[in-house]
This record gives sequence, C-alpha cells and structure tokens, in this order.
Amino acid sequence: MKVTYSWLKNFVNLKATPEELAQKLTMAGLEVVSLEKQGQDFVLEIEITSNRPDWLSVLGIAREVSAIYGLVLKDTLPRETKIKTKELWPIKISVSDKKDCPFYSARIISGVKVGASPDWLRSRLESLGCRSVNNIVDITNYCLFELGQPLHAFDLDKLSQREIRVRRAKSGEKILAIDGVSRQLDQDILVIADSDKPVAIAGIMGGKETEVTAQTRNILLESAVFDPVLVRRGKQKLGLQSESAYRFERGVDPQGAKRASTAAQELILKLAGGAARGLKSSGAVQSKQQVINLELNYVSKILGISIPAVKARQILKQLGFQVKAKAAGSLAVKTPSFRQDVQLPIDLVEELARIYGYEKIPQTLPAVKPARQAPEAGEIISGMKNILTGLGLHEAITYSLIDRQLLQRAGIPADNGLIEILNPLSKEQEILRPALIPSLIRAVAYNLNQQQEKIGIFEIADVFSGRQNAVEQKPALGIALCGTEAFFTKQGLVRDEITLLHLKGALEILFNRLGIRDYGFVPQEDDTISVTAGGAQAGFLLELGAQILENFDIKNRKVVLAQIDLEKLFTAVNLSRKFAEIPKYPAITRDISFMLRQDIAVEELLQTIKSRGGALLAQARVADYYQGKQIPSGFKGLTLSCTYRSDSRTLTEEEVAPLHNDICALLKERFEVKLR
Amino acid sequence: MDIQSIQAQIENDLSAATSLPALEEIRVKYLGRKGLVSELTGSIAGLPVEQRGQFGQQVNALKNKLQGFLEAKEKTLKTQPGVSQKTGVDIGMPGIAREPGSVHPITRIIDEICAVFTRMGFSVVSGPEVETEYNNFTGLNIPLEHPSRDAFDTFYLKNYSKLLLRSHTSPVQVRVMKTQKPPLAVIVPGRVYRPDAVDASHLFMFHQIEGFLVDENIRFSDLKGVLELFAKSVFGQEIKMRFRPHFFPFTEPSVEVDISCIICKGKGCSVCGRKGWLEILGAGMIHPNVFKQVGYKAGLYTGFAFGMGVERIAMLKYGINDIRLFFENDLRFLKQF
Repeated sequence: MKVTYSWLKNFVNLKATPEELAQKLTMAGLEVVSLEKQGQDFVLEIEITSNRPDWLSVLGIAREVSAIYGLVLKDTLPRETKIKTKELWPIKISVSDKKDCPFYSARIISGVKVGASPDWLRSRLESLGCRSVNNIVDITNYCLFELGQPLHAFDLDKLSQREIRVRRAKSGEKILAIDGVSRQLDQDILVIADSDKPVAIAGIMGGKETEVTAQTRNILLESAVFDPVLVRRGKQKLGLQSESAYRFERGVDPQGAKRASTAAQELILKLAGGAARGLKSSGAVQSKQQVINLELNYVSKILGISIPAVKARQILKQLGFQVKAKAAGSLAVKTPSFRQDVQLPIDLVEELARIYGYEKIPQTLPAVKPARQAPEAGEIISGMKNILTGLGLHEAITYSLIDRQLLQRAGIPADNGLIEILNPLSKEQEILRPALIPSLIRAVAYNLNQQQEKIGIFEIADVFSGRQNAVEQKPALGIALCGTEAFFTKQGLVRDEITLLHLKGALEILFNRLGIRDYGFVPQEDDTISVTAGGAQAGFLLELGAQILENFDIKNRKVVLAQIDLEKLFTAVNLSRKFAEIPKYPAITRDISFMLRQDIAVEELLQTIKSRGGALLAQARVADYYQGKQIPSGFKGLTLSCTYRSDSRTLTEEEVAPLHNDICALLKERFEVKLR
Repeated sequence: MDIQSIQAQIENDLSAATSLPALEEIRVKYLGRKGLVSELTGSIAGLPVEQRGQFGQQVNALKNKLQGFLEAKEKTLKTQPGVSQKTGVDIGMPGIAREPGSVHPITRIIDEICAVFTRMGFSVVSGPEVETEYNNFTGLNIPLEHPSRDAFDTFYLKNYSKLLLRSHTSPVQVRVMKTQKPPLAVIVPGRVYRPDAVDASHLFMFHQIEGFLVDENIRFSDLKGVLELFAKSVFGQEIKMRFRPHFFPFTEPSVEVDISCIICKGKGCSVCGRKGWLEILGAGMIHPNVFKQVGYKAGLYTGFAFGMGVERIAMLKYGINDIRLFFENDLRFLKQF
C-alpha cells in the first residue's frame, strides 16, 4: 500500500518529517518498506498485514498517524445531493443471494462530461502508481485509495434494460474484462450482470463492453460489499489480482460503502458535471459493532507494564473506538465498523501496546520450570552425529521431496506405498522419499564431479511410506562412502580404497558406543548385507552394482551405502554402563598364521575356535590379513591372535600349549588351512 | 664500498639465511671483531677531517639498522618450525592424524540455538513433518480461506485428505499443549516445506526453530527478556534490538524482532537492504483462541511463542549468500563447518 505525505496531511496536521513519520509507522506495526521523494511530495510504501483491511486507505493510515502523534483526525463526511422525485430515473437491482453480496448500491448520474482529470487528481493517482484513465474512472480509484472502498462505474446506456443482477455466473458464460482478456466463468464466480450478460466480475474487475469511455454520457456508480471468501476463490480461480479484490478479500468496512458512494458522486458532479438521478440499494449494511470490557489489570498482566487509564482511553479513542469508563480500572470499548478484526480484550491490549510503544515495555526474565523428561530421541541423534563425525564422516542434508525417477535410477521400485504430493511446483517435488539412499548416491555423484577423492557422508532424516491409508514417517540413518582415503603414517602416505568393511567398521563403532550388544552383519541372497541390532533386522549395507553406477554416471569407483531404521535401532540402544572387573592375572597370547580358502567365512572359523577353546580362551580375533604374491590365488592369508587367560591364577606355558595345538589341529582338519 | 651497497648486500645475506647458525655467521661477518662494520669504523681515521663526522654517523646508523635486522630475523627463525637438533624431527612435515568429519552448518546453528534455550530450562521436542491440516492451521487460529493463509502456502498429500507437509514448526505447539499441561518450556527444531519458487534466498524445504513458554503468569516483558538473552547469546552482546508490532494469527500481540545489522553494525549495507536492521524472528503472546483449541481453561494461562528460520540465521552468521548451498552437499562447503 502506497500513501503520500501530502495526502496524509489532508487529514492530520502533521509536523513530523517524512523520515520521522516512516520510523514511527514502522514501530507501530505499519512497516514502511520504502520512502521516496517525488517532486515536492514523498511516497511511503507500507507493508500492510492481512488483519488490517482498514489500513488499505489513506484515511485508515491517517487515523493511525493521529493516534501515534496525538493529533486530531480531520474526517469530514461527504454531502448528499437531494434529488426531486420527478428527476429520478428508474433502475432495477436484484441480488440472488444475500450471503454472496450483503449490500449493493447503485447511483445514476446523467449527462456527465467524460474527459481528462485535473492535474491534482491525476498526479495523486500517478504517485501511487495508478494510471490515469479519465475523470470518472479516476474518481472511483481516488475514492478507493482514500477510503478503502472499491467502486465501479458502468456506462448506463450499455446495460441492457438498465438492470443490475448480482448472481453466480452460469457455466459457459464468458466476459471480456477491462484488461482486454476474455475469461471463462462458472458457478463459483459471482458476477454483476444486466438483463442478459455478465458485465463485471463482482469485486474483482469490470467488463470491457460496459466501461466508461469518452462517449459515455450517463453512468451507474456501484458501491457494494461482497463475500470475502467468494472474491478470494474467484480471483484464485481466474488468476486475477486487482486493487479491488485485494480489499474485498480482506473485508471492507460495511459502513464505508455508503460513504464512498456519496463522496464519489460529490466529486463527479464537481469535476464532470451532470445530474444525480437517484440511488437504489439492496440489502442492509451489517455493522457488527460490539462492546468489549477491558480490565486494565488484564493489560498489565499480559504486557508486564501498566498503561495509565487516561492514556489508554486516549489511544483507543483516537483509533476510532468509543470508550466509556465502567468501574475503576475497567473500560467498555465499542468497536468501530471498520475494525472487524477486534473481537477480544487481547485485541485491545495489542492496540494499546502498539501505540504506547513496544519499546516502553521492560525486559524481564521469567522463572522457567524445566520439564522432568527422559532423554529424547533427539539427544541420541546428537550423540550419533558426534560419533559419526569423529569417524571422519560429513553430515549431509538432502531434500525429503524427490522425483520418482531418482528412485528408479537408484534401483528402488517406484510403485506402491509412495506418498505423492498433490501440488508440486516441479517434478523434483513429486514424492516424499521412502529411502535416504537415492539422495546420498546423488550427493556422491555430485562430489565426484567436483573432483573429490574421498567421500564419506551421512544423513539422519525421516523416510516416508504409505501403510493401510496412514502415512508412516520414521527416522533413518544413511551413510555413503566412496573413493580412496589417503592418510599419513610414519612410513609416508597410505592410500586405502573404501570397501564394505570400512562401512562395517564405522557401524560397529557406532553400535558399540550406543551400547547395542547384539548386532550382526548377515549376507543376503541379493548381495546386500542385512544389519541386525538387538536380534532384529534394522537395516542393510550394499555396494552399488554396475547398472546403478552407470545410471548416476559414476565411473571406476566403488560406492558403498548403509541405511538403518533408527526406530528399530533405538530399541536396542543401551546408554547405561556396568563396570567389568579388570583381569587380575596376566594373559598368554599365541598367534597362528595360515592360508584359508577364499570361500570359507572367517566368522565360522572364529566361532569354532571359541567353542573349542573353552573357558581359558578369553579372545580369538583376526590380527592381520593379506593377499598378494606369497598367497596362491583362491586363498587369503590370515593371522589369528588367541588370548588365553584365567580369572583365578596365572596360566603357564605348559597349560596353554596343548590347548593351542588342539586349535591348530582343528583348523587343519576342519578348514583345511595351510599353516605358515 | 659505499654504505648503500653494503646495506643491500646485508639484506641479501639475511634473506638467504634459513637457520640460526647461518644467521650467526652473518653477524660475525658484519658485526664481529674483524667484521665489515669495525673495518669501516677503523677507516674513519684515514678520512679528511671535514668528512669524518658525517661518515661516522652513517656507519653508526648502519650498525643500528643491522642489529635491528638481525634481531628480527632471529625472532622469525625461532618461531618457524625447523628441524630439531636432538631428535631429528622436522616439525614442518605434515602431522599424522585422520581427517575428522563435520556436522552440517544447519545442525551447528540448531545446536547453538537450542543450547541457549536448554540452558534457560527449555526442553527440545520434535514433531512429524507430515501434519494434519488442523494442527498446521485451524488449531493455530489460521482460518482456511483467508489472506492470512497466503503466507503459508502449503504442500498437500495426494490420496490423503487433510494431510500436508507442515509449513512451519508451530503445529508442535498444538501437539504439546493437547497432551501436556503447563508449565511448558519447549523448543522445536525441524524441517518445514513451502511451495516457493527456488532462488538464492528461497527453497521448498528449509528449517525452523519454534519455541514457546506457557505458565500462569507469562508476560510480554518476559518474551522481550528471553528473546534478548537469546539474540545477544547468538549474535553478540553488542547488538541492538527492536521489537516491531506485526501480525500472526496465532499470537496477539504479535511482534517481529530485528537486530542491528551484524555486517554493517547498523549503518546500512546490501545485506540489510540499507535499513541497518535485520529481521530475525517472529513472536508474540499465544492467542487465547489457540488455548481454547487445545482445551485449556479460558484465562488460566498466558504464554509466548516465537519462530525463526535457521537458514537465514546461518546465512547471516557464516556470510553465506545462496541458500541452495546448504543442500548441494558439496564437501568443499561442508568441510568448512
């Protein structure tokens, strides 16, 4: 909403400079977003919040200025012209539904001289960015900007049967609007029609055929109140915005319609001549004025400061409220018709605070009573992020909305159970993702294109699926690793190509830190590796196959990924700790180096050793592994480290040797290993 | 040899010196007992009387300058990593450690802000991203067909009527208040969605932090105090603040909070649009209609709520000028945080 400094001065004796005024308005809730000098005048552009249709007029803003500065509002009502009965022209008005149009009024003015507007009128409109058309149209716009009531003037002689019908459009009806575009109408749209066709889209835009032109002699001046929701739906349906619709959808002052009509006629008779030929209206102006009891104690209870009663009364009066003192500390406040937004005492508290000044309210600190709560999932997630970043992974955030095609490229079926978006702006917002993996592959591919050598990223976010007519949303962890990690050792730089075992290593550390006792990695038929936690399936690991790599244009690189269902993982999380006694007696460690057939799983071997080793074998683990020149193909070289220990005595070599030999023999017999 | 060329030679020698022993050699060469400077001093006696005074001054100046140079160079060499004489370790070689990862800048900001509020006694709560139309709008006193909805353009789900992607974190107010009685001190970070055309400052997905405090006697002055504590903790003690009246359907009175521009300190620059102020959050006293919607007895409780955009705060604090960088996940971006 634009307003000029000089126009405001018509209503209030402003002494403040435009800059000061802009500052004060901003601090009263009318944010001045620009202040421009235009000739001798200044144009203020104000951002009007949607609850204040009354600020969509110079008068409304002037009223605010009067309250801010404590100045008198010079608000003079227009003069009604008396018409003799014999001079009246007949006109028919019908409104088919009072809900759509609670009030409609039409004035007839005959013999007007349509022409250019005087300079003062033209320049006022132009300074607000409104194009001057002719004196009649300009006057309707002038009244719209000054009073906030949209008006429309028709060429009376072009209205068939000189009749106005306010009705819903019939399907198939069309109208050529004054913007020159022809529009298809339907029953959701309210129109102003004559006896046979729509002549305006009610509250939104007039029609071309009946507009006021240089040839027009007699006019019909419309001033009405239309249902805000209907205007809103209509403009959305037609994709049409106008100053008029902007005001009607916010709700105009029901009493303002009559006043604006009188003011416009007064100005037309003055600037375009002609004679008033009558006023006809349908419906009554509903002015929902109510009386609100305001306790001043309530004001200070909400604000934390007390506003003196005299000051409170003055502010409310200047804002247009009628105020009566009831008992001490209590006011009866009657709302004006243009303040439909004020319904509760709290609304009056805001009015007082705004004008009194938010800056006068002190800063205090309340006593916060913290909730007694068990640690929430959010805290576990924070801990997980710490562990994962400590492992060298970078946290990524990718969009939860994706395109279906991304799923297909990642090899995930894109058919049932997907949550689709009803109103996406583009294909990229088609569905809510059921998995994190596709977005992570895309992030890996992006970084490979940026010549990144090692990529290690993770994301913790919700994934979505449809289950029996309900939307299931649950948190998941996704990890993606790719490339070659290069790091220094004492011997120099070591390059290490990332594999599934790197991913497994990261998850093991994560699970251990979270106190998950019972976890495992189980190869599946489809080459993925299922991850179990607390005995239940919680996710999977996989290495991307050639087809998917190609889909993402990834060349000569391994990409490994994990996705873990966090709801399932959380049930296995155990953050409590129990101290285990530190061993009192020393252990004896024996290593075994051997070659094992590639197709035999190490896990199986370890399990067998552990059961054979009995109570004295405290631990058996892989201490080293290698493949290379010394190892024939089809084999892997392994070193196992066996730790023997007793809790009740120091073991001797003699005790351990037979047990260890036994284990070596078992390896040879059962697993056909070749000892080295 | 004239004094000027000697000085040039000294500077040359000094810049070539890379170790303390080399520096000592230079010192001996020029300032030693048989050094160049004493040689010059000795030559004064052989000059005509009228030249002696001036030449003596020049030699003195040279000597002082040289001492200054040597001291400065010694300081540089001593603070530079060099090879240890005892252990043979060249500490200028790369340190041996594995490269750590990083949390996303959005997480960093969320953690920083939540920490300020949890220190005050707030609890962190989360809510679902797929929400009901009721929690997102009606429960928050936002009428379904009203221009106030324009600020909350929303993604709806196909085949699930009345379900949508939350367009703000405020629905968690409704969720928490429907299940718990005050006192409540809650902070809610999370993803939100709006069908906005994508550009350098708009995306269809972003993050918000919502907070609210409800009890029997919470006042607007408490809102001002808590938000001042927050803003100064996050943006620095020296910032100025202003509380501007505004409109939100779920708060009354409502306020927008500005801080003095952290880039130009309030003088006006391109970041603050020459205004000197940056809007950082919206807030207000929770509307009685919201309390009514969640079933609280009328007049029993008061409270305030606030909400802020995380990306905006991250962009201001880190000097990021394009919101899309947050979700591109370029490692060269992520590694900076």
